[in-house]
Amino acid sequence: MASTVIGAGITVEGEIATDEDVIVGGVVKGKLSAKEGVTIEHGASVEADVASASLVVAGSLIGNVSASERVDLQAGARLVGNVKAARVTIADGAQFKGNVDMDI
Amino acid sequence: MAQARTSTRGGDREARIGRTARVRGRVHGEGDLVIEGAVEGDLAIRGDLTVAEGAEVTSSTVEAHEVRIAGALTGDVAASGSVRLSGAARVRGNVRAAAVAIDDGARFSGRLEVEFELPPELGGASRSEGRGRPAARR
Repeated sequence: MASTVIGAGITVEGEIATDEDVIVGGVVKGKLSAKEGVTIEHGASVEADVASASLVVAGSLIGNVSASERVDLQAGARLVGNVKAARVTIADGAQFKGNVDMDI
Repeated sequence: MAQARTSTRGGDREARIGRTARVRGRVHGEGDLVIEGAVEGDLAIRGDLTVAEGAEVTSSTVEAHEVRIAGALTGDVAASGSVRLSGAARVRGNVRAAAVAIDDGARFSGRLEVEFELPPELGGASRSEGRGRPAARR
């Protein structure tokens, strides 16, 4: 159960930082950091650098990503930015433009 | 063990700023919002706003429909509906609403503006329905 939910109709312009997890269904512009997982839902639009343990993208993200565990782009996701994560999956149908650094 | 759940309960889902979350910036949009953490910035919500106990909101303006405050809020509140301060609320700022309720124990410092019309026999202007009867309202 996500602790912070930015609902589909809500826009946050600024920085969000949490020790728990975040689900974004609306719009976030700025910066997003979470100690647990971040989910960007289908239809959500994030323009921010994201730092978290893990990240699932089903919507749109423009920004750089730094995830200590994993990043998963689902079909329908759109990510423009650089990704730094230990594990990455990109589903068929996801759109991605950027560098991937798995720190190998 | 990051659990990423994409549950869409369709349409407007309640938005929540969790207890450990800190938001600095402007929050606006449609839908109800529950704040359990800390928010620093203006809020303009077309929905109900709940500031939970332990939450801290620092703002210059807070706009919402119904507002329920059980935590700390600094800033001016303009509610199109009612504002309720529960016992743990600590509010500093001006509050303008259609109705206000302040529970025992709440701390409030600021101006309260609750729109209402006095009936004409008490000196309020009667709506020009002419006849000098208190205008039926609400």
